[in-house]
Amino acid sequence: MGDIVKIYEDYKDRADFLTVYVREAHPTDEWQMKSNVKEDVCYAQPHTLGQRLAIANDFVKRFKYTVPFGVDDMSNAANDAYAAWPERIYIVDETGRIAYRGGMGPFGYHPEEARAWLASRFGPVTHSEAPTVPAKTGI
Amino acid sequence: MKRFWKWLLGGFGALLVAAFIFLSWMAGSPKDAYGMVRYAFPHMHRGNLRVGDDAPDARILQLDGETRFHIRERTGARPLVLVFGSYT
Repeated sequence: MGDIVKIYEDYKDRADFLTVYVREAHPTDEWQMKSNVKEDVCYAQPHTLGQRLAIANDFVKRFKYTVPFGVDDMSNAANDAYAAWPERIYIVDETGRIAYRGGMGPFGYHPEEARAWLASRFGPVTHSEAPTVPAKTGI
Repeated sequence: MKRFWKWLLGGFGALLVAAFIFLSWMAGSPKDAYGMVRYAFPHMHRGNLRVGDDAPDARILQLDGETRFHIRERTGARPLVLVFGSYT
């Protein structure tokens, strides 16, 4: 998540961003991870849109998440169209075509590849300050 | 012939146990291996989208739960970085 926010901050003037919140990856009633318990991210898989929206709102508030945000509805249409679960990144170019297709998370989820695409298009953005530690859970 | 089936079943069983042990090691514990098989595998798919394909559209909700927009409304002017994920 921290990486995406940094990429957004670096390139928001040159590209648009949209985070799409999809079905939970590690809810309490399915495959819960120890790291989620440790970080108090304990939610059951939502069965209603209200439940999914509540968790998405908790996420945005807890991390003061600034990247433009939307929520997939309970038909999971966006998730299905993009094979998004559990996490994935795409870049769509100005012609509406897929320009970058990231791998399936967690092993294929590499924000640095999206950054590299943006850097090749708009030039690299470098920082002199020390890097911050990103949260382990979530997007 | 009976012996052949015995060996075949035994080999298959041993293969299953070895696969489960490997998954447990990969996932972190037997419980995680079960979670991976039961909950993750059915939802994991590589998808059919390729670089150069038209980006599919889908209706998305804003956090208020009432305002709706389409992914394709956000494309066209500049490149759009789409990030999918969840809190957990």
